[in-house]
Amino acid sequence: MLRFLLRRALSAVPTLLVIATLAFVLLHLTPGGPFDSERVLVPQIQHSIEARFHLDEPLWRQYLRYLGDLAHGDLGPSFQYRNTSVNELIAQGLPVDVAIGGTAMLIALLLGGSIGLLAATRVGGWRDRLPMGLAMLGISVPLFVTAPLLILVFAIRLQWLPAGDWVSGSWRHLLLPSVALALPYTAYIARIVRSAAIEALASPFIRAARAKGLPSLTIVLRHALRPTLMPLVSFLGPALAGVLTGSIVIEQVFGLPGIGRFFVTGALNRDYTLVTGITVLYGALIIAMNVLVDLCYGWLDPRVRARQ
Amino acid sequence: MKPAPRCPSAVPVRRTLLARPWLLALCACSPAGTGTGAAANTIIVGTGLAAVQALTRAVDAGGVRSLDPSLSTDVPGERVLDDLFEGLTRLDERGEPAPGVAERWEHSADGRVWTFHLRAARWSNGVPIRAADFVFAWRRTVDPRTASDYAQALAPVVNAIAISEGRMSPATLGIEAPDDRTVRVRLNAPTPYLLSLLTKSYAVPQYEPAIRAHGESWVRPEFLVNNGAFLLREHVIGGRITLVRNPTYWGAQQVRLAQVTYLPLDRSAQTDRYFAGDLAFTDSFSAEQTAWLRQQLGTQVVSGPYLGNFVLGMNMVRPPFAGNRSLRMALTLAVDREPLVRYVRQGLYLAAYTPTPPLAGYPAPVPDWAALPDAQRHALAQRYYAAAGYSARHRLHVELHYPTDTDNRRTYEAVAAMWRTNLGADVSTYNEEFRVELNERHLHKLDLFHYAWIGDYPDPYTFLQLFQTGFGYNDGGYSNPRYDALLNAAGEEADAAQRFGELAQAEALLNADVACIPLYYYATRHLIKPYVRGWTSNIQDRNLSQYMYLLEHRGQ
Repeated sequence: MLRFLLRRALSAVPTLLVIATLAFVLLHLTPGGPFDSERVLVPQIQHSIEARFHLDEPLWRQYLRYLGDLAHGDLGPSFQYRNTSVNELIAQGLPVDVAIGGTAMLIALLLGGSIGLLAATRVGGWRDRLPMGLAMLGISVPLFVTAPLLILVFAIRLQWLPAGDWVSGSWRHLLLPSVALALPYTAYIARIVRSAAIEALASPFIRAARAKGLPSLTIVLRHALRPTLMPLVSFLGPALAGVLTGSIVIEQVFGLPGIGRFFVTGALNRDYTLVTGITVLYGALIIAMNVLVDLCYGWLDPRVRARQ
Repeated sequence: MKPAPRCPSAVPVRRTLLARPWLLALCACSPAGTGTGAAANTIIVGTGLAAVQALTRAVDAGGVRSLDPSLSTDVPGERVLDDLFEGLTRLDERGEPAPGVAERWEHSADGRVWTFHLRAARWSNGVPIRAADFVFAWRRTVDPRTASDYAQALAPVVNAIAISEGRMSPATLGIEAPDDRTVRVRLNAPTPYLLSLLTKSYAVPQYEPAIRAHGESWVRPEFLVNNGAFLLREHVIGGRITLVRNPTYWGAQQVRLAQVTYLPLDRSAQTDRYFAGDLAFTDSFSAEQTAWLRQQLGTQVVSGPYLGNFVLGMNMVRPPFAGNRSLRMALTLAVDREPLVRYVRQGLYLAAYTPTPPLAGYPAPVPDWAALPDAQRHALAQRYYAAAGYSARHRLHVELHYPTDTDNRRTYEAVAAMWRTNLGADVSTYNEEFRVELNERHLHKLDLFHYAWIGDYPDPYTFLQLFQTGFGYNDGGYSNPRYDALLNAAGEEADAAQRFGELAQAEALLNADVACIPLYYYATRHLIKPYVRGWTSNIQDRNLSQYMYLLEHRGQ
């Protein structure tokens, strides 16, 4: 187990290096620089700004400097938010995204999981077709439609919940964005769980369990659930990483200070360090989640454990 | 002859950071007349002051990038800094320069030396504001080591340009403090818009000990020492900013708001939050929603003239536009501006025939053809088109480039259609990411491009400098020695009326040469709750919170 973790941690280093390098190179290749402003700057000031952020050095040296800082966990200063480091921006924005993303995933898991299981036990009936139809709708309707709709109904018409903004620790501010973000994931999870459960329920060991005369609920929860979770877990790893690093749409619509919009405005403003920093963070999260997924596989399936 | 002061402190319009598809989505899901505005429409406003004086305002979604007065360049930053800092002058309730930290001033006969007398004002830590605080701040702004985008904004001040270029020491800047309560400013040339310039953040005083002690972090709520009507209570980077009344402000007695909150939101989110009652003063709304908003909110929709023009630039250094005045004339004549502003721009904006927007006292030269009936104007356009060497068989093919934005797209598609119909010209439109378009434009790679501009101070010069030979932002490459000479002469002119006359002459020359195609002037756009008072629509769109107050009301 420890050896497995150690091996994975070591293999993560080159992966992250590739991610950082790609992000760095691609950003520097994009036309326009971070300080190409509407105003035309005096060369001395342009130079002074560039020197401050080491942009006057050859690219390879900037790259080595960046990697050196990265190795110390320093993501560098933000270009667009003067007087602020990328570490500070992430430290400020990430908790917001983790709270919303985490809550959204919890809702999606509970809701999507139950719908999927229920549908799988009633294949072909209305209790299967109706939720699956709704799930298809949930996947197809984009966030920028559902989020304003939720605001329209729950914040403007009914005035039950705030239409946006972030107040740390307030569940009322958490609810609407989390639900909006949870909707498509609920739909995905419901569909994944349904098909996995249908497959599991058709397996020989379930037939054996039925033959033993076990009650239906016990069969589903004790025997069919574990194999059903396998594809779900593979989906959840990357999805969780994505959701925790912020959703630009949710952040814009609800006016939340997460890192999703730092990422997008950073790219538009050629904020090299900010974008590379968030990309590396995202990469690290994906790697971490995949390790977790593999560990879960081991827990769910003894055959995998043996190989690990 | 000394060149006219070059003040590249005006910024071209940079309207959107992001494409906003959900904006359309929102329009689609809130059909007109369904009464989503019912809550907002049933506000009952009393006459007394509201018990709770807390205002929530919106700023553009980009948010405040820096609260350092020397470094801030974005509009959200300007809004907040107007509340946090006060210069020698400040804007009054109507948006006109009025006494700020300086209670009075006088200038020499030639308008080149100004002496400001400071009132007994205090920093937020109780320390008296000294003239030296202005000297320190101005030197810091122009010092190339500060790396301020706005170093050149103080260009009218003696030596400012040389210092920003590293040729002279910041100590040589034309500002001095003969005593603690007197600031003396020496200018290169008479600068009639100086009092306006002094209201800007790059000209406010700064508290040196705080900057020495905390370096770049001095603008954080825990360290900031400021002198405006409000104190910084909370600053979420790129997010919410909360201000509270500053008891040490010299005019604190008149400030009625106890708290002001700024929220960075995109246009459609601002509208949502306004309807939800979370916002009382929005920064903008989507032009496409104007009719629907007016129907829902009536007089809460507030719009007025804004110091910005929406103009097309032409590349004057290469064909087809170089040396072909007839072609440029044909294109500008063939645009039907009235229908453009009425139908495409929802009646929000004012049609433009000359680059400078209407300014008090300035006789902007409107070309004669502006008054022609459509048919005559079209016929004239066709004659010019033919004279330029184009016909139905030999059509003009040109690309129009603009930064991606839904509002821009609608305008430019309409203009291209007018050229197709009225001239038979084939103009294709291309939208590009803001920085890409900007870059290509600076390199003179584009023939026909978005060249909108928002002025920094209410003076024609901020718009006319764009066409001066050698000016860093002259992206069309227009160059006319007579035009340059007229601008320079105006720069040396001490008499304000005379100066406006010379500037108008220069602008008339610009129009005769058809150096650009003006389309319309921008308008300010706000949704304001009826119980919010103390604001006026003004051309700079700057409404200081210190004048605002809330009346008692029911409903939201």
